[in-house]
Amino acid sequence: MSENKILFNTAGSLDTISADIGNLANLEDSKLKLTPDNADSGLAKLVLTLVELIRKLVEKQAMRRVDGGSLTEDEIERLGETLMKLEMKMEELKKHFNLTDRDLNINLGPLGDLM
Amino acid sequence: MIYALLSVHEKAEKLNLLLSTIKGISQTDLMAVSYKEIAAVVSCQKETDIIADKNKVLEYAGVIDQLAQHFTLLPMRYGSSMESNEAILVMLKINYTEIHQNLLKVENKNEFGLKIFCDTQKLHTQIRAESEINSSLNNGLEDQPANSVFKDYVNKKLREHRLEELMISYVDALIAEISIYLDQFHAFYKFKKMTTSNNIIDAVFLLDKEKQTELVSAIETLQHRYPDLNVVLTGPWSPFNFVEITIK
Repeated sequence: MSENKILFNTAGSLDTISADIGNLANLEDSKLKLTPDNADSGLAKLVLTLVELIRKLVEKQAMRRVDGGSLTEDEIERLGETLMKLEMKMEELKKHFNLTDRDLNINLGPLGDLM
Repeated sequence: MIYALLSVHEKAEKLNLLLSTIKGISQTDLMAVSYKEIAAVVSCQKETDIIADKNKVLEYAGVIDQLAQHFTLLPMRYGSSMESNEAILVMLKINYTEIHQNLLKVENKNEFGLKIFCDTQKLHTQIRAESEINSSLNNGLEDQPANSVFKDYVNKKLREHRLEELMISYVDALIAEISIYLDQFHAFYKFKKMTTSNNIIDAVFLLDKEKQTELVSAIETLQHRYPDLNVVLTGPWSPFNFVEITIK
């Protein structure tokens, strides 16, 4: 983006926002790079990304129910145990495939980050 | 390769003159393929020339930008191409009504982009502090740890969930405030929220060219109201996000 296209910016120059803009434009780290040499780890990243997305959706829905007050103390206890074990298992899998949270947050371009 | 579809009216000569002064990607000549009062600005490219890279895309955008300074236009997506000028002419004929309607919609208007960035940690702290005052974050949660590790885990997750919900409410309120400004300008607008952790709003507006100064002033007011946010307004752009047409 050229400097003359910036009509208003608090900081006053392109340099000061270049890091923020750069984060939006730099999608390299969050791309799935599947090649014959890394098919295993590339596939693991893809699968774990989907699993993590579903796990977070489940967690979000569970929190909505807890917040809504529709669960008994016993149900909350069991929910906590399940969610905690899911998170721990996920951490194990990430460690096994040498992946970080950032690796599993795919950038969907104009749609933003997956998670 | 097609760069843009233009409303030419009685300015065909002006267009030809302008096209003689600018070059397409890879220094190719530009020409106009016209039908009634609309025209497509095109250049003849080898297929290999169309493969996108940053420089070519910037050249492409530069051509559109120069054309937009003189004509109302609909920018085409990079790489849009047809096999011959005859095929382009047929496309213009078939899609004339939709192209004409879209050109009318964007006439004398420019697109502007608004990105609002925040320091996520700072904003979380601010929201957390405000929520503690009205106790929405900790409502129903005990201060003391529960006697169960699982219950503590749920409480921790519940606090995170509530913080996220409060964050979304904060962004929604901001969008509502910006929309009030934009409605005064009779602008079209599209908002995306929380595209990344620190880009909380990514919006585009389409409004009359002469409203630009007022828009900048409104954004300045917004920035004063939210000094902790970094508000960036860009433009004027061609109406990349407001063309609703499926070429047949």
